[in-house]
Amino acid sequence: MEAIWLYQFRLIVIGDSTVGKSCLIRRFTEGRFAQVSDPTVGVDFFSRLVEIEPGKRIKLQIWDTAGQERFRSITRAYYRNSVGGLLLFDITNRRSFQNVHEWLEETKVHVQPYQIVFILVGHKCDLDTQRQVTRHEAEKLAAAYGMKYIETSARDAINVEKAFTDLTRDIYELVKRGEISIQEGWEGVKSGFVPNVVHSSEEVVKSDRRCLC
Amino acid sequence: MTTVNVSNSLNGLSLMGILDTKVGNSIQNLQNLNSRAPRALSLPEYGPSQRSSALEDSHSLKSVDSGIPTLEIGNPEPVHCSVLNVKRKQSESEIMPERTFQSACMLLSYVPPLSLDAEHEHSVRKSSTFPRTGYDTVKLYSPTSKALNRSDDISVCSVSSLSTELSTTLSVSNEDILDFMVTSSSSAIVTLETDEVQFSDVALNSTKETNDQSQQEYCQEADVDSKLKILGPFSSFFARNLFTRKQNTRLEKQNDLSWKLFGKVPLRENSQKDPKRTQKEYEEKTGRAHKPLSPKQNVRKNLDFEPLSTTALILEDRPANLPAKPAEEAQKHRQQYEEMVVQAKKRELKEAQRRKKQLEERCRLEESIGNAVLIWNNDILPNWETMCCSRKVRELWWQGIPPSVRGKVWSLAIGNELNITHELYDICLSRAKERWRSLSTGGSEGECEDAGFSAADREASLELIKLDISRTFPNLCIFQQGGPYHDTLHSILGAYTCYRPDVGYVQGMSFIAAVLILNLDTADAFIAFSNLLNKPCQMAFFRVDHGLMLTYFAAFEVFFEENLPKLFAHFKKNNLTPDIYLIDWIFTLYSKSLPLDLACRVWDVFCRDGEEFLFRTALGILRLFEDILTKMDFIHIAQFLTKLPEDLPSEEFFTSIAAIQMQSRNKKWAQVLVALQKDNREVERGSPSLKH
Repeated sequence: MEAIWLYQFRLIVIGDSTVGKSCLIRRFTEGRFAQVSDPTVGVDFFSRLVEIEPGKRIKLQIWDTAGQERFRSITRAYYRNSVGGLLLFDITNRRSFQNVHEWLEETKVHVQPYQIVFILVGHKCDLDTQRQVTRHEAEKLAAAYGMKYIETSARDAINVEKAFTDLTRDIYELVKRGEISIQEGWEGVKSGFVPNVVHSSEEVVKSDRRCLC
Repeated sequence: MTTVNVSNSLNGLSLMGILDTKVGNSIQNLQNLNSRAPRALSLPEYGPSQRSSALEDSHSLKSVDSGIPTLEIGNPEPVHCSVLNVKRKQSESEIMPERTFQSACMLLSYVPPLSLDAEHEHSVRKSSTFPRTGYDTVKLYSPTSKALNRSDDISVCSVSSLSTELSTTLSVSNEDILDFMVTSSSSAIVTLETDEVQFSDVALNSTKETNDQSQQEYCQEADVDSKLKILGPFSSFFARNLFTRKQNTRLEKQNDLSWKLFGKVPLRENSQKDPKRTQKEYEEKTGRAHKPLSPKQNVRKNLDFEPLSTTALILEDRPANLPAKPAEEAQKHRQQYEEMVVQAKKRELKEAQRRKKQLEERCRLEESIGNAVLIWNNDILPNWETMCCSRKVRELWWQGIPPSVRGKVWSLAIGNELNITHELYDICLSRAKERWRSLSTGGSEGECEDAGFSAADREASLELIKLDISRTFPNLCIFQQGGPYHDTLHSILGAYTCYRPDVGYVQGMSFIAAVLILNLDTADAFIAFSNLLNKPCQMAFFRVDHGLMLTYFAAFEVFFEENLPKLFAHFKKNNLTPDIYLIDWIFTLYSKSLPLDLACRVWDVFCRDGEEFLFRTALGILRLFEDILTKMDFIHIAQFLTKLPEDLPSEEFFTSIAAIQMQSRNKKWAQVLVALQKDNREVERGSPSLKH
């Protein structure tokens, strides 16, 4: 029995191999941290419901991608149908930070004609002593690309919820404002069954919504 | 949020499960609790609504069916554990790992009457609002059965991901508990420590240590033992109740001012046995050697439990400060107790019969494997060229190659088209080592052999190999740093990147190489690995040749529609394209997705039939789960297929594959593939299936 949710957002998690994408997602969706886990081959799938405001629930469909460059040609096909993305780098791995630029450029190309909202995530922040990327420069980069920046740690459960809920909230705002809308054939945002909850932009929203009548 | 009230107004009465702070209510609770006695202590959601529930309440111990009333504070989250059974090969001492899955059972979750400390931000959404001890989720596996021997099985224990959830479920394989129940006859008494301080210590310790050590604990037998020690008394706890009842009555009467369960009041002195002594007694009785305690055990030591106060609780009189039980109630309790005992006995008997049957099955299986080994070794292998295509051999092949012969058969079947010699392997390996050395000393960029690979790429590849190796089959503990096959895996993958710089290292390869290493010597494994990856399907995927990959998916869909039209339609409707689930399966040849023993059997037939079998297996999986898949939506199908259940029944699985016909309109796999390839070359690529 499905809980009632307002919208379903498809999020994609990208970043270099071994930065911790799978761990972060698992911490978020399963509440656990595994020191060692299998490398993602292809794509893994997760989902979770978040309540961004009392009574307003968003279902998140999370796509966990393989980070190795070789897989990019496969995973780039998935950007188009995602409304949000977490771009991860490892704060103890400078190269992964340097590659952020590449990831973003690639996304820009392949997400057309849709749009995707990213949040930059500096992961493994519990390993501060081994830091190779300063918060300042990461924030600068994020700002340059119009993204928020947040530092997380799946191991110590720091900011994990916040990263996902912040992103979700941002997307939700855009959806409310009508800047992102549900479209036929686009999987990024889907509407849930909402019996009584109404907000202003909903007059505009369409027959996509499932109705039990 | 209900809080546990360590109520002072009730004379040292601090029962878990008393949710109300009002005294009156508490008394009422007590009365109700008394009638439900040992099952009383339940989580908030169960508590109030369960007051009048009968003893047959299904809330208690879901899988440990002792029928004996026990204290249960159940964590509603089921926890899965997997069992690693290491089977001894018949002819060799080499270990062939296999993975079996046993469902979780929820034993006692212990909840002290304390406020929760060390509550992290991670506060997992828990359905229970009780504070927890630091008794983290411990997933337990079958005990190292030096004493507990079930035929040839050696079970390797491992403890996986102890989380900081602070949930207090102990998950244990059912079989093992029952082992204890059936075979042991000791009356182990476990003492319950009620010292507050100790509990918080425990909480802190476990929280801090778990994450750091979660993975190391896989390999620590001592740890396992320690946990088993806890488990041991635990499990015997259920059974022992029967025998210690008399003792209980006596002791209970001696101090009836309060229910000394988890309260702050110290336990009655005379019932206190030295926990160590208790455990020793128990161990002696079950014949298990006493292992030295590891540092971690000190944490657990504090949590000894005392069943005396709870055994056959239902038969006890109420504490003196409460109205006594009426006669009918007492009688009813006696009856109920009898019933429970009877049921428990019945269950034990049934379990014993089941085990016996299982044992017999296993013996039969091993015998047949023994026979097969002889046939393979004596008849087939010496005459490989002539025999390998015969019908009889092919049938035997389908049954699964005996592990001791597997490596040889795979080698022969995969062949060595590339004519790689052991010398070539050595050369590649030494070149790889040179490169690693030079890269790590910040060295050269002028390696012209590695055409098209920058130093950065190579370095990344090297780093990646290193990291991936330790992530390969982590629960086997053999490929990790310091493990016996760590270097072997590293060598093979590294040598391959030298041998095929155009392909390099791709994630997924480590699994394939690992499976080969488990069955072959290093150089032979390398040869098999290289030849295997050279097959057209593997090449297409590992080089991520889009066009070819799409062709394979398209061919797959032809046979998908042919064999499972309903499911095919359902998938289409939900936009579930083959790449979603096939990539992982094909890249790793199912070694990541199926339990190792099943994966090896798939490899067996893959060696026999070629790439077509990979796709046939995929359809077999879909067919096996067709019913549930038809009811799922996109995300659930995707999640299900990328994480297949670990307890796939092997015979059913292979029957399902066998039912798949790789024939569509009189065309076989190869023909379909070729036809599609031709089509693709003519039609402009729209890449429909990789569009997500």
